[in-house]
Amino acid sequence: MISCEAFRTRFHASTEDPSLLDHLRACDRCLDFAVDVDPDVLFRSLGGAELVPPGGVDAFVSDVMRQVRVRDAETAAAARHRVISWPRRLAIAATIAAGLTGTLLTYRANAPTVAPQPIARIAHASAPVAAKALVTKPVVETYDSQNATIVEVPGESSDDVKVVMIFDENLPADL
Amino acid sequence: MSAELHVMMPTTPSVEPDDRQLVQTIREGDADAFELLVRRKTSKVYALCYRIIGNGEDAKDIAQLVFIKLWENLEKYDASYAFDTWLYRMVTNVAIDFMRNRQSRENAVNSNLRLVKTAADAEQTVVVQRKEVEHVFNDISDVLSPKQKTIFVMNQMDDLPSAEIAKILGCRESTVRNHLFNARKLMQQQLQKRYPEYAQLWRER
Ligand SMILES: [Zn+2]
Repeated sequence: MISCEAFRTRFHASTEDPSLLDHLRACDRCLDFAVDVDPDVLFRSLGGAELVPPGGVDAFVSDVMRQVRVRDAETAAAARHRVISWPRRLAIAATIAAGLTGTLLTYRANAPTVAPQPIARIAHASAPVAAKALVTKPVVETYDSQNATIVEVPGESSDDVKVVMIFDENLPADL
Repeated sequence: MSAELHVMMPTTPSVEPDDRQLVQTIREGDADAFELLVRRKTSKVYALCYRIIGNGEDAKDIAQLVFIKLWENLEKYDASYAFDTWLYRMVTNVAIDFMRNRQSRENAVNSNLRLVKTAADAEQTVVVQRKEVEHVFNDISDVLSPKQKTIFVMNQMDDLPSAEIAKILGCRESTVRNHLFNARKLMQQQLQKRYPEYAQLWRER
């Protein structure tokens, strides 16, 4: 910083000389003199100095970095919530598949077994059983989604029950 | 021998990366570079917030908010512009918002409660002291709109010319000059009412 003597010699109204402005803002002894020469520097005298926030720069910077990390963690958590992970999707799909299989097995176990009958009687007596099998509804009748991947598990014959696996990130976990 | 070798080794002075380089490093995922940037800009940002807001604790909170917004929006920075211009724009936006909210809360509560000095005081000889000037400024600048005050602070205390302020605020230079003119006029009126001895000193140009 320039000396008070140099400042007082060189200072003039409307100066933009950085060395003079630096002195003006740092030296209390010359403030009165400067305002007398150029009243307009009254409030200019307040600026320039690099101020330190309460608590100091180190504490300020650590506070900022901590808040940044918290925000990043919150953003990451929100993103995880939106996108269900693949293992979780598979778990949901497996649960549905197990549910479907279980339901169908239960149905088959409870279905009346038809004893061998003479051909002439089968045509007559088995009609209600066949009708009952036709009216059985699947657990999931329709599934309408833009995002779902539906995989049909192939059966051994056309009589086998159809098992499908639904992969959908929008599927509620408690289905 | 080793001393001789040491002398002959070319010394590569460690060059501090400039603001643009730092931003690039941060964008590549280096959080340490962001810490360095915050450290580099803390005093400037805090000082500007403090001058606009006039209260250390609030200025600190606002300055921290500025840096968090900086972190969140760093992708939007266009490196063809000076980094400080972009940073100052962020500071002024956040500080002006804060001031507007505070003004709407405090409006009409404090403005008439301050001590109004008598005309006789104007005859007193004033020995200008920095603390007192700061107090007077905080007191009378309340009459300015947040934008007027921000422009006045940047021009008078940060020595920014009106063209640079216009770039920061994204407005015309004539708008900045109008705000400066009106700010001076309003402050002069307040000085005459409340601090006549300073009104004598700080004449309207
Ligand atoms: Zn001095």
